[in-house]
Amino acid sequence: MASTSRGDALALPRVQCPNHPDAILVEDYRAGDMICPECGLVVGDRVIDVGSEWRTFSNEKALKDPSRVGDAQNPLLNGGDLTTMISKGTGSASFDEFGNSKYQNRRTMSSSDRAMLNAFKEITTMADRINLPRNIIDRTNNLFKQVYEQKSLKGRANDAIASACLYIACRQEGVPRTFKEICAVSRISKKEIGRCFKLILKALETSVDLITTGDFMSRFCSNLGLPKQVQMAATYIARKAVELDLVPGRSPISVAAAAIYMASQASAEKKTQKEIGDIAGVADVTIRQSYRLIYPRAAELFPTDFKFDTPVDKLPQL
Amino acid sequence: MDSSNDEALDIIITNVVATFRVRCHLNLRTIALEGNNVIYKPDCGKVLMKLRKPKITASIWSSGKIICTGATSEDDAKLGARRLARVLQKLGFRVRFSAFKVVNVLAVCSMPFSIALIDFTVNNRPIASYEPELHPAATYRIKHIKATVQVFSTGSITVTGPNVQTVATAVEQVYPLLFECRKPLRK
Repeated sequence: MASTSRGDALALPRVQCPNHPDAILVEDYRAGDMICPECGLVVGDRVIDVGSEWRTFSNEKALKDPSRVGDAQNPLLNGGDLTTMISKGTGSASFDEFGNSKYQNRRTMSSSDRAMLNAFKEITTMADRINLPRNIIDRTNNLFKQVYEQKSLKGRANDAIASACLYIACRQEGVPRTFKEICAVSRISKKEIGRCFKLILKALETSVDLITTGDFMSRFCSNLGLPKQVQMAATYIARKAVELDLVPGRSPISVAAAAIYMASQASAEKKTQKEIGDIAGVADVTIRQSYRLIYPRAAELFPTDFKFDTPVDKLPQL
Repeated sequence: MDSSNDEALDIIITNVVATFRVRCHLNLRTIALEGNNVIYKPDCGKVLMKLRKPKITASIWSSGKIICTGATSEDDAKLGARRLARVLQKLGFRVRFSAFKVVNVLAVCSMPFSIALIDFTVNNRPIASYEPELHPAATYRIKHIKATVQVFSTGSITVTGPNVQTVATAVEQVYPLLFECRKPLRK
């Protein structure tokens, strides 16, 4: 990055070394010179120096870096505008006789992207509530930007689109969240999020991978406080149940919940259907239904190395 | 294919939706008060009239546009629409039956085998979509004939399209795809 050589695109009169007109000049930005690489002659002079104006002695990342001006830009998302605003004044001269500030205009700085900025803030708030990492938030922002620019979903509430983008981003990153989980941090109904989800997939012409039972095991089990053994057993049970096709037409979440129930009932840490239903967002009758389907072949579903606290035949039958 | 099977597949048309116009402004209050078998919905601005003979429910708007649902065949729909126009004529409006168009046909069909939805979706990636959290069926949209097929894991499918011919074509088209993803023998 120390030196850049200009291309021939500019039609300005090129400075050239008098001795070597063909030589491409090397720019030394520190000193503000253009130097011929062949003979070392300094050709251009008083090139604007892009070095910093004062020396800064960094003391362990002070709050503000004095050689930087303004906020960190987010050019990928905002269209990179460089607008400046007049800030509220300090000192007595900026207030008029009644105590009101003289210059009140803090109006629209980027009206076209205001809705988008609002949406980004909303996305960050929602993601914060369920502790999503930065990469998912970035992906969501990107998706939202694409959808917003396309304008095909213009009539829909921005919050709904933001929630649906969040759902899609989680799916794309391989850590899907259920619609109910997204619903819990958003003010939009599940129905509306589902509708927006389908519309966005159509608008962006992408598709997402199908959800599997294993995607949710670690989250549900840790929320319930179940040990690793039970979690692994539940994962195995759910996978086996789907392979053996014991639960056709059941949502993977319900199957996962039933598997967790079975695994926890067979271990020392027994959880009730209600608790599991609460965490997974599934009704306890649904867990009961799915459990009834997997119960007959419970013995085959458990992993071979599982330590039973309650043997298979003593499992509750509902 | 469908026709080369031993047993032909029964495609049962369950609903035909048609719209038509009567070319005159209708007073909904009059219809609501004087007609039989009517439900007035002032918040929606329409009157629902149910006919017994071809079992049909019609939504009537004051502009004279009518949507007629519940028929079991295209002819039935037309017959019901004409009957409806006759009823309105008897109520005293100067009706002219025009612009009759069948808008949507819904049919159900049952395959003799169960279907593995996940395999079906994976095989037909962008056209088929399956969201178990939202709906238990996989939707397969055939764009060029504008038909939608919803496939359930039990093997029954529902087909919707703009007319009966489209529905038949859609079933023909989707049958080989379903056959590939069948589950061996029902339990």
